[in-house]
Amino acid sequence: MKKLFKGPNAGWNSFLVLLLVLEFVVFGSANPKFLRIPLLMTASNDFISICIISIFVTMVMITGGIDIQVSSIVGLTSIIIGVAWQDFGLNIWAAVALAVFCAALCGALSGFFVAYCGVQAMVVTLGGSFLYSGLALLVSSLSSTEAYKGISGFPDAFKAISKTKVFGVVPMQIIIFLLLAVFAWFLLHRTKYGRKIYLVGVNQTAAEYSGINSRLIIMSTYILAAVSAAVAGVVMTAYLGTSKSDIGGNLTMNIITACVLGGTLSTGGKGSILGTALASIAIGLLRFGMPLCFKINTQYLDIPIGVLLVVVVVGRALVNMPSVQAKLGKLRPKKEKAGS
Amino acid sequence: MSVIKKVLKAREVSSFCFLVALFLIVGVINPSFLKAENVTACFNTSVVYTLIAVGMAFAIFTGEIDVSVGSNLGFVAAVVGTMIQNGQNWFLAFGVGLVIGVIVGLINGWGVAVMKVPSLIFTLGTNGILRGLMYLTVGVQQVNQLPKSFKDISSMTLIGNFSIYYCCAVLLTIVIHILLTRTRKGRYFIAVGDNAGGADLVGIPATATKIWAYVICGVMAALGGIIFASRIGIVTSLSGNGYEMKAVAACVLGGISLSGGVGTVIGAAIGAVIMASISYLLVFMGFSSNYDNAITGVILMTIVVADALLQKRAAVKNRRARLAARTEKVTKEAAE
Amino acid sequence: MKKTVSIILALVMVLSLGAVAFAAEPASVEGMTVAFIPKVTGNAFFEVANQGAQEFAEDWGITVEYMGDATASAAAQVAVINQAVASGVDAICISTVDAAGVSDALQEARAAGVVVTTWDSDALVADRDLMVSQGTPEVLGQMLVDLAVAGLEDRGVDPAADEVNYCWHYSQATVTDQNSWQVEGEKIIAENYPNWTNVEPDNYYSEQDAEKSITVGEAVLDAHPDIDLIICNDSTALPGQLQAAENKGLTKDDVTITGFATPNAIKGYCTNGTLFNWGLWDCKIQGALGCYVAAYLAAGNEVTVGDTISVPGIGDVEVMANDCLNPDDETADVNNGVVLLPERAVFNAENMDNYDF
Repeated sequence: MKKLFKGPNAGWNSFLVLLLVLEFVVFGSANPKFLRIPLLMTASNDFISICIISIFVTMVMITGGIDIQVSSIVGLTSIIIGVAWQDFGLNIWAAVALAVFCAALCGALSGFFVAYCGVQAMVVTLGGSFLYSGLALLVSSLSSTEAYKGISGFPDAFKAISKTKVFGVVPMQIIIFLLLAVFAWFLLHRTKYGRKIYLVGVNQTAAEYSGINSRLIIMSTYILAAVSAAVAGVVMTAYLGTSKSDIGGNLTMNIITACVLGGTLSTGGKGSILGTALASIAIGLLRFGMPLCFKINTQYLDIPIGVLLVVVVVGRALVNMPSVQAKLGKLRPKKEKAGS
Repeated sequence: MSVIKKVLKAREVSSFCFLVALFLIVGVINPSFLKAENVTACFNTSVVYTLIAVGMAFAIFTGEIDVSVGSNLGFVAAVVGTMIQNGQNWFLAFGVGLVIGVIVGLINGWGVAVMKVPSLIFTLGTNGILRGLMYLTVGVQQVNQLPKSFKDISSMTLIGNFSIYYCCAVLLTIVIHILLTRTRKGRYFIAVGDNAGGADLVGIPATATKIWAYVICGVMAALGGIIFASRIGIVTSLSGNGYEMKAVAACVLGGISLSGGVGTVIGAAIGAVIMASISYLLVFMGFSSNYDNAITGVILMTIVVADALLQKRAAVKNRRARLAARTEKVTKEAAE
Repeated sequence: MKKTVSIILALVMVLSLGAVAFAAEPASVEGMTVAFIPKVTGNAFFEVANQGAQEFAEDWGITVEYMGDATASAAAQVAVINQAVASGVDAICISTVDAAGVSDALQEARAAGVVVTTWDSDALVADRDLMVSQGTPEVLGQMLVDLAVAGLEDRGVDPAADEVNYCWHYSQATVTDQNSWQVEGEKIIAENYPNWTNVEPDNYYSEQDAEKSITVGEAVLDAHPDIDLIICNDSTALPGQLQAAENKGLTKDDVTITGFATPNAIKGYCTNGTLFNWGLWDCKIQGALGCYVAAYLAAGNEVTVGDTISVPGIGDVEVMANDCLNPDDETADVNNGVVLLPERAVFNAENMDNYDF
C-alpha cells in the first residue's frame, strides 16, 4: 500500500531525462543552433499548450478515464474571450474569467456524465469534442466579426501574458507552465486529494468503501483538465493576438502521447506529473528539432512521434512482463519477426 | 411473446427506432424530406462509415479499440487510387489494398493482444505512422485522375435507389452478423470482450481472437478505402482524417458498449447511418452547417447517457428481482 | 554558406536603413533559401503551387523549402514560421491562415532579418515586403459570379431576368479567403441580380471532408429540387458537389455548378458534361513568383512602387502600391507593395487540356 503512494516512478523518469539529454545531444550536434537558449525559448511557445494540458489530463487518466475533448475547449475558450470582450464589451480580464468558467462548466458536464451516469469516458469526451467545437463555432457567429477573420486588437495588458519575458529570456508561458506543474505535482503527490485520485484509479469500489466520494473525485479531474485547457486557450490567444474558434487544432494525439510516454497507465492507478511534464517537453523538442536539424517536413512529424510512442509502449511492455513472457515463450519468435 | 420482448430489448432496435424518429422529425419540419429517394440517400451516403464501423465493432467487441482506421482507410485509398490511376489491373490494386489492411491489422493485433499494450495507445501510434506514410505516398501529386468506369460504379443502383456499394455493405454486414451469432468461433469475439480471463479458462484463445478482430477491422477499413476512392475520385493526404472517431461514435450510437462484449454489427451499421446522415438532414431542416458538430455532440451524449441510465436502472431492477426471488425461496423453505 | 548568409543579412540590414544605393544591375538571387509556407499541406492548390516553385527554383539556382502543417490553424502556422526562421532561411514566402494571428511571428521574422513575402492570402501590409496576389476579394468574387452567369446563359437561363435559386457550398466558416470571396460575391449579386434568391444565406460547409462534400452536395440537390446554381469556391467542395450531381443523373443543363479548383481534379466531370466551366489562377506561377521576389529582395535588391522585376522564365512584373488591393492600405517607401498575377484562368471543355496541374 505504501508503495502505491510513493509517487513518481523514479526509473521511468530517469529514462525520460535520458531521452531529453539524448535529444539535446543528437539535435545539438546535427545543428548547433538548436542549443541557442533564446531560440529554444521561442520554440517552446509552440508546444506549451501540449505541456500545460497534458499534466492535468494525466490526473484524468490516473482515475482510469481519458479526456479527448480538451483541444476543442482550447478553441471554445479563445472564442469566448474574443466575443465577450469585443461584442459584449466586457473588460478583458472579465472575459478571460468568463471563458475559464465556461470551460470549467464544460469539464463538469462531461465529468458528471462519466462519474455519476457511468458512461465511458472515451465516449463522453468524444461527444464533448464534437459538442464544444460546435459550440465554439456558434459562439463565433454571435460576433459581428465574421468567423473567418478572428478577433484581434487585444489590449497590451492581455498580450503581455505571452510577451513578457522574465529575466529577458524566459517567456511568461514557461513560468505559467512551471507554476501549474508544481501546483499539479503538489496536488497529486502531496495532498489527500491526490492520494484519493490514485485510489480511485486502482479500484473505484474499494475507494468507495473506504469512504472516498469517488464520483466527486472523478468529476473534479475533468474540471481540472478543462480549466487547464482554458489556461492554454488564454495563453494561445494572447500569443497569437487573435481569437478563433479553431485555435486548438488537433492537440489531442500529442496530449495523450505525452501522458502515456510519461508513464501514465491508461487503465488508471499509475502516473506522475513529473513524468508527463518531461515527456511533453520531449515531444515538443522532437517537434521542434526534427524539422530544424534533419529537414523533416512538419507534416511528416506524425511518423517519428508515432514510432516513438509504439517503441516506448512495446518496450515498456517487454520490460514489465517477464512472467507473461515466459508464458508466451512459444510466441516469441513470431513476435520478433513482426517486430522487425 | 418472449421473442418479441427480446427483439424490443435489443439495442440495435432502439437505435433503429431513433433513426426512424430522426427521419420523422425532419419530415415534420420539412415534409418534402419524406420521399423514398431522400431516405435512401441517407443510407447510400453512409456506405464508407458503415464498413469501418462494422470493422471497428470487432475491435470494440473484444474490449479494445482501433483508432488507426482513419489513416488505414486513407492509406489504402491512396495506394489503390494511385495504382488504378496508373493503369494497373483493378483487381491487383484491390488485392494490394486488402493486403495492406491485413498487415495493419496484424501489427495492431500483435501490439495489443501479444504485447498487451493498451489498444488506444498502440493504435494511436500506428495511426500517426500510417498518416505519415500516406503523406509520402500521395506526396505532391494527389490522386485525381481515376478512370470514369471506376468512379461510375458508385452511382449504379441495385435495388430501388440503393447504390450497389450500399447493398454489398449491407449484405456483408448480415453475413458477418450471422457468422458472429450462429457459429462457435464467431461467438468468441463477444466472449473475449465480455470476460477475457474467463474465456481463456474455457479454452477460447483470447490472443488469437483479438488478432483476428484487428485483422477484420483492418480489412474493413481497407474496403472502405477502396470504396472511398471510387466514390470520391480524389484522394488527398488528408483523406480519412478523423474517420476513426466517427466510426467509434457510430458503434456507440448502435448500442455497442465500449467496455466490450455487448452489441451487434447490425447496430454498428445503423449507427453509421445516423452519424453520416446528420449533415444531410441538417440541410433539410434549414440549419446552417455551423450546427453540425454541436448537434452530433448532443445526439451522441444524449444517447450514451440515456443508455447508461437505463442500464443502471435495469441492473438495480434485476438485483431487486433476484433478491426478491431469493427471499421468497427462503421464506418458502422456512414455511415448509 | 553561413558566411554568405551573414553577409547578406548584414547587407539587408544596411539596406533597410536606407544608407546605400545599389547599382542598376540587380543582385543575383542564386544561392538564396526561401521557406515556402502554404496555409495547409495536403491540399491540391498548395501542393501544385509548391511544385511550380520547385520547378522554377532549380533554374534560378535558389532553394525552396516547402514547410507547412497539416492543420490550417494560426497556431500551427506560427510554429512553422518560427521553425523557418530558426533554420536560417533568407526569406519566407507565405500564404497566411489568419493575418492577425501570424502578425507577431512575421514581425519577429523580419526583425531577425528575414524577408517576408506573401502569396495567395495576404498578411497585414505592415508585416510583409511584397505580396504576389491573384487579385482582390472583389476581383475573385466577381470572377465567381461571372463563371456562374456564363454557366446559366449556356443552358438558356437569362441571369438578368429569370428567377434563379442559388447557394454557396465551401469548406467552413473559419477559412479566410473563401469567405471573403463569398462576401464580395454576395454583394455583387445583391447589386446586379436582385432576381436571384439565396436559399441558404448561412451557406453549406463540408469542412474539406470529401465524404461530407458529397453528402452535403446530395442534400442540397434533394432539399432544393428547384436550385439553379451552386457556387463551390473550395477545391474539395466542387468535386464533391459535382459527384453528387452525377449520382443523381444531373448535368450542366439541369443545374449550374461552378467554382474554384485545380483543372486536373475537375476535367473528368467536364468531359461528362456535368459542369460548363470553372476557374482558378495559375497557382504554379504564383508560387514560383512569390519565391522569386522573396529571393530577389533577400539578395539585397531594393524595389519601390512602379519598379519592374524581370523574372527569368516568367516575364516582367510591376510592383504596385498596396492600395490596389485594399484602398485603405498604405505603402512604405521601399520594398513594400503588390505584384498582381497577370491573369486568372477560366477552364471549360475547350481549353482544359492545355493545363496540367
